[in-house]
Amino acid sequence: MDTLQHLIAGFGVALTPMNLLVAAIGALIGTVVGMLPGLGPINGVAILMPLAFALKLPPETALILLAAVYIGCEYGGRISSILLNVPGDAGAIMTALDGYPMARKGLGGVALSISAWSSFVGSMIATIGIVLFAPLLAKWALAFGPAEYFALMCFAFACIAGLMGDAPMKAALAAVIGLALSTVGLDSNSGVYRFTGGDVHLSDGIQFIVVVIGVFSISEILLMLEQHHSSAGLIRVTGRKLFNLKEMALTWWGTLRSSVVGFVVGVLPGAGATIASAMTYSMEKRIAGKDGRFGEGDIRGVAAPEAANNASAAGSFVPMLTLGVPGSGTTAVMVGALTLYNITPGPALFTQQPALVWGLIASLFIGNVLLLFINIPLVGVFTKVLQVPNWVLVPGILAVSTVGVYAVHATTFDLVLMAVLGVIGYLLRKQGVPMAPLILGFVLGDLMEQNLRRALSITDGELGILVESPISIALWIGAATMLLLPPALRALSHRRAAALAPF
Amino acid sequence: MSDRILGAVCVVASAGMAWAAQGYAAAISYEPVGPRAFPLLLAVLMAIAGAWLVLRPTQRGGAITLAHLKLIGGAALAVFVYALLFEWLGFTLATALMAVPVGMAFGGSWKQSLAGGAGLGVLLFVLFDKLLDVVLPTGLLHVVLGGR
Repeated sequence: MDTLQHLIAGFGVALTPMNLLVAAIGALIGTVVGMLPGLGPINGVAILMPLAFALKLPPETALILLAAVYIGCEYGGRISSILLNVPGDAGAIMTALDGYPMARKGLGGVALSISAWSSFVGSMIATIGIVLFAPLLAKWALAFGPAEYFALMCFAFACIAGLMGDAPMKAALAAVIGLALSTVGLDSNSGVYRFTGGDVHLSDGIQFIVVVIGVFSISEILLMLEQHHSSAGLIRVTGRKLFNLKEMALTWWGTLRSSVVGFVVGVLPGAGATIASAMTYSMEKRIAGKDGRFGEGDIRGVAAPEAANNASAAGSFVPMLTLGVPGSGTTAVMVGALTLYNITPGPALFTQQPALVWGLIASLFIGNVLLLFINIPLVGVFTKVLQVPNWVLVPGILAVSTVGVYAVHATTFDLVLMAVLGVIGYLLRKQGVPMAPLILGFVLGDLMEQNLRRALSITDGELGILVESPISIALWIGAATMLLLPPALRALSHRRAAALAPF
Repeated sequence: MSDRILGAVCVVASAGMAWAAQGYAAAISYEPVGPRAFPLLLAVLMAIAGAWLVLRPTQRGGAITLAHLKLIGGAALAVFVYALLFEWLGFTLATALMAVPVGMAFGGSWKQSLAGGAGLGVLLFVLFDKLLDVVLPTGLLHVVLGGR
């Protein structure tokens, strides 16, 4: 068993005192960031990434930190959903539907503990899924040539545009803006400077960190101005802190089903925790049928979406590790973090950097155990953080974000560019343009252009190579399906609704 | 701002991109596709997306109140000023200063915000610069805080 050997070696990496400590810190920070309304996993990872780099952490340690923050956020989001009725991050929206009514009935402790437990189960199942499927996918992806890679990236963009809901054109626009930003700077093939306006600061291209912090952190601060929340409605946890066996038995199968669905959805590029939790919530509601009291505090409505959003977060590591094509905004930021270390994620990662890959996978197992222990007994400590007033919290976020950008190059230019991108990001988000495709475009831009040029070099400019192999044909068909299917389904259901309506 | 404006801005930006990109050519070329093709492709895609938004907008401009605009504008301005003064004033002073308008925008009084900002400035400086070895500018306080 090759995989088992690698996994044991991975635990060797993850269990070093340094990496254990980093995983624990990451899990704590992640839980807090996930819990705070407005800040989600992307913000957490974006703010910590430059710091990890500035602290000169070795790449596997940095990745373990970011991964712990990511899964920690998925745990944390549920706390404010349940106690405040304000989802801490997008993946926890469904959790509020039944979690908050439970808390109002005095079952807050039960809701918190069962959701921590189902988060744990979801994450664990998905991590086992990574162990089983990622090496296979990586082996298969080694056969990819530049043309297949180009098609794969187009497929990823099609997924993200098709699945991002109501405005696929805006998602596409965001991706193009991201790609365009990535072309700024020196073109390494020809030595031509592009879009630099003669400015020395831009000759190296726009720093990844500046883009991420600008469009996620700074724009988030401006958006937060509009959605003031207060911790006034915070429900105190009283009574039973832990779920009992009956409640566990009631939720068990739903948790398992939701974990598997969450994992599969997470592996698909573009479809993330939000879609996974919404899908499984309605799935469980349908399965429960008449005896369900969904929306009024049904415990199954808390367990299922939490299992799914954690499973999908872990699942999104699969495309990132095996193909080098991230499946979510958060993993896109991690790919950017790896490129800071001159590591290009992709199928070769499994053979060239086994310590990194398997150390990360092992740390997901460890991180989950840590998070389960952090989240059940210490939940009271976390709710204190929700009482920190915004007038301290927001300047703190801004200061830490700015430190992150400054730490990389120590120039005022980068800071100003961060502010500019922040305002642009705010205006775009205000207009309903999603930022995840933008960051995906920025991360993949160089890879995409290089693969296109390499493919066309093989045939001396003949475009036919892009649709030559069965793999690329399948990917193009998949991309077209992803773009055309959701609007078609929507049109169909509209028509059905129109047919049912009397007028 | 409505989708139409966003779309129009994109069309104009794509024209600018195309105009800038058409001059990009390698002195000596080893490959059939040079540095110009990809940016031009993106400009075309951006123009299509922009035109689509102009022709088929899905979101109209929401009503923005003046007070609201002031709030957002003020916060954005504070971020800019913070970025510009970060090195010169140093991290601690700049953070304390930034926290006043930003904290007040989030419901604090100016005293609370200033105190919070000063606390953050000192605390984060000690945490990052002294404990974690992430070098931060000391600026005007370099005599007190030592270092560069």
